[in-house]
Amino acid sequence: MKNIFGIEALEGAKSGIREAIDYARSLKDCRYADLRVGLVETRTASSENGNPKIAREDVHSSFGVRVIAGSPQTEAWGYYAQPLNKAELGGRALWKTLRQGIDRAYQRAIASSHRKQALRELAPALSPVRLAPVEVRKDTVTARFEEDPRQISTKEVLSEAMNITRQAKSVSPEMRFAFLMMATGLTRELFLSTEGTELDQAYALTNATLLVVAQKGSAIPESFIDHIGSHGGWEAVRGKNVYNKSFLDFALERARDTAELAGAEFLPSTEEPVTVVTEPHFNTLLVHEIIGHPTEADRALKMETAYAGRSWLLRRLDDNEFGKQVASPLITAFSDPTLEGYGNYKYDAEGVPGRRVTLIEKGILRGFMNSRETAAILAQEPNGSMRATACHYVPLVRMTNTVIAQGDRNPQDILSEVEEGYYVVNHRIPSISESRENFRMSAQKVYKIENGRLTRLYRGGGITSDSREFLMSIDAVGNDLVVLPIPNCGKGQPMQVMRVGNGGPTLRGKARLTGEYTR
Amino acid sequence: MRLEDLRECVQKGLDSVKQEKTEIEVFASWNELITMRLNYTSDIPSGGLQEPKSSQFSGIAVSSAFSDRGKTSLGFGSQANELRPRGVMEAFRKAKRGRFYDPDFRSLPSPAGSPTLVDYHDPAILDISDKEAVDLGWKALEGALRAFQEAGIKESIIVGGDVCILKELVAIKSTTGIDTFDVSTILTVAITTMVEKEGVKGTGWATSTKLAGFDPALAGREAALSAIRTIGGKRLPPGRYEVVFGSQPITDMMANVIAPSLSLTTVNASNTPFLGKLGQRVTAPNLSIYDDGSLPGQIGSKKVTCEGLPTGRTDLVQEGNLVGFLANHYLGRKFSSNVATFVPRNGFRFHGLGRTYEMQAGVFPTNLVLEGRPEATTEELFRGIKEGVYIGRIWYTYPINGLAAGDFTSTVIGDSFLIKDGQISTPLKPNAVRINDNINRVLQNIVSVGREKKAIQVWSAEEAVIAPEIRVEGVRLDSISAGTA
Repeated sequence: MKNIFGIEALEGAKSGIREAIDYARSLKDCRYADLRVGLVETRTASSENGNPKIAREDVHSSFGVRVIAGSPQTEAWGYYAQPLNKAELGGRALWKTLRQGIDRAYQRAIASSHRKQALRELAPALSPVRLAPVEVRKDTVTARFEEDPRQISTKEVLSEAMNITRQAKSVSPEMRFAFLMMATGLTRELFLSTEGTELDQAYALTNATLLVVAQKGSAIPESFIDHIGSHGGWEAVRGKNVYNKSFLDFALERARDTAELAGAEFLPSTEEPVTVVTEPHFNTLLVHEIIGHPTEADRALKMETAYAGRSWLLRRLDDNEFGKQVASPLITAFSDPTLEGYGNYKYDAEGVPGRRVTLIEKGILRGFMNSRETAAILAQEPNGSMRATACHYVPLVRMTNTVIAQGDRNPQDILSEVEEGYYVVNHRIPSISESRENFRMSAQKVYKIENGRLTRLYRGGGITSDSREFLMSIDAVGNDLVVLPIPNCGKGQPMQVMRVGNGGPTLRGKARLTGEYTR
Repeated sequence: MRLEDLRECVQKGLDSVKQEKTEIEVFASWNELITMRLNYTSDIPSGGLQEPKSSQFSGIAVSSAFSDRGKTSLGFGSQANELRPRGVMEAFRKAKRGRFYDPDFRSLPSPAGSPTLVDYHDPAILDISDKEAVDLGWKALEGALRAFQEAGIKESIIVGGDVCILKELVAIKSTTGIDTFDVSTILTVAITTMVEKEGVKGTGWATSTKLAGFDPALAGREAALSAIRTIGGKRLPPGRYEVVFGSQPITDMMANVIAPSLSLTTVNASNTPFLGKLGQRVTAPNLSIYDDGSLPGQIGSKKVTCEGLPTGRTDLVQEGNLVGFLANHYLGRKFSSNVATFVPRNGFRFHGLGRTYEMQAGVFPTNLVLEGRPEATTEELFRGIKEGVYIGRIWYTYPINGLAAGDFTSTVIGDSFLIKDGQISTPLKPNAVRINDNINRVLQNIVSVGREKKAIQVWSAEEAVIAPEIRVEGVRLDSISAGTA
């Protein structure tokens, strides 16, 4: 074995984890426990303007335990997490560390259950934790890659990153800065629960985040950040990814666009909605923010009120938008972890098989992504949408590959039918209202459409609308759906940054333009 | 984990890897973040204290500068959860394997002065039990629910938020003479409440470095009373308004738009609205901004940076003029010249869960302080506003067209009121107003700066902002969500 503290090390940890789960079963008033033990092995490098900045090889292992315990009417959650080292991953040392973790989580659950009991008169909605039942599973999921990330040296990753930023910086005299952070690695996670589920899942991830900045004379600099990657090995760098582009070609295209934009006019804003055609890269973030987030069950059930907000789709359990029209009949949206993309997996962090969830069907709200706990509250089937960024984080309801389904229109036809409007290209930064009922989102590029043709390029623009109003205004849906990577979805406390897949085909609707009125 | 063990680890570890013509810095950290996350909904079955949880992190980072045939190569290696000399050796091996020549690298940090903030942590926080931590969470919830009970409100209640306890231990030793350690303890409570059928939201915060006197119940109560105060809110027609921003909106704008623009990180990327403006007027002359990581009792304070250098005050804006940028050692050396120097008081290894061995030191604010000259009383701040808006809480504030352009947007989600004839009047309906403006213009249009300040930390930020209320004229507000808010 080349690297004994690589992901293979988890093989020897399984017996210790089984013992720990047996121990959790033996605790008084412990109704449920699960353990996740993970190991991540990565090579990371960064470069700016052709110079090296970071070159690292990392191996991180950690575990997280969840316990439900307490008296039957006030059963409560308790959690605990910590990192593991090489010595702890072998045999008895692991069992001892996990047992201590289970004890801490259990003590928190018991203490919380007592306090819940004491406060029930003041807070009658306090309830015992209930999990919707799921089938017990035993399975192994193998990582898929062609070029093993472990065979790629840190120096190779660095060399590739340096080449990309050197060339990106050289595309134009206007280029001021080109930065790339790049990583390739493997992750393996074990999941065991007191119900008997036992899973061993692994995946590869190779990705890069690019920042390019261009400036023409003393004008305001133009910047753009974008991300490319896939659940694969080093072959992703050479073009085996959703963009079908090498990381270099991807970076050069973004750099050229940014240099061109540095000399463009800023988009004027409008006071009234205009016709906008939004393309798949822009729609990736739009779908993420105005369809994905509001259809997460924990958010709909107000659990995120203090952080990322609520959902306008559910006011109360008996007052909500289920079965009602929330979008144009042309819009169907779903979330599907079985598709290729950053939201691809077989089992979620509760050991539930991930499956396709129809969120909106022909404009009618149909479903939410959920966890076992939120499924129990909503009286629904669990659909396997719980994930954590790493084992030391508590799982949350997360988007998987969440998209607007493909339509039947040729995108070129959608554009050519527009007499006067705007073509909104490549997502940039979103700002969304608290319940996702309104958005303002910027694009990298906006083109004026006149008589079906793109006539003028603008920078610094985007669109704003109430979410329902925009979704209802859609009158054309393209046949060009792609699932693109969103690498940095923030949620939870402490905030977890998660990879998800999102996408939407070309759409035509109405929204106000945002741009120069703010300057 | 004992500090003595951490110090022994860096001492013995450094001894074991020392070699000629090589600068080596060993950084060791141990953190624990305990989070008591609340979720109570009166109309949906809920857990109250939804997530009593914690994560620990510990490990070693080694930075090395190797002299190779006249060139200096830089290497970085880390080792997780292995606080022993062999962890240092393994991290050093990784640093050596991955070393490279970086033309911007000058040297590893050397000692520079003495820290002014020493022994400022609370042992009671380091020793807090699971039961005590759980109690703090439930107290916050109880504080909010008692306030609602007193007001006769039983339905449509939401209480969310958290109590967080952060314990941080670090030790740093280098062949360039750094030999230091730091222990910090931080308590925060941030509670959000709603009476949902009324569409109102209120917030309550508190921060402390000591357990004694830390009262989560009070923050819960403040959040509930704030929501109750804003029942009956009105919408606002779009337009430009005279606005008094409360401490939270100032904090949100600082954390997401202004502070990133005042860092050498964004100067390095040519991606700040303040590029090339050192020494020039960038705000109204009545505003000064500085960062100070040595302020006693503030949660952003540390004894030393994660580069082992003393924290202290860095002036950023003085009476409207840009006078400095936040720096770490690496970028400070890169950008210092005979006309400008940048003292590295902000080199930290923050990673969302405290100080981490996993990364090299970046540039992070500590306690950002905004001051006015002169500073206005609350009455003076509102005086003369015929029709204006008090904005008490905003959300999702982003530099929507990139930092350099300065455009930002945000929605007003609670704690806000209309101002009429210099007085707070009708509540403003939450989630019905979006701010669409440019930060350069907002900073230039400051009318007055309040005297009262509050220390606030926004979601996922590491720094605290010690923020006054600030009055700004001509702020662009748009009306949104008429159909759904």
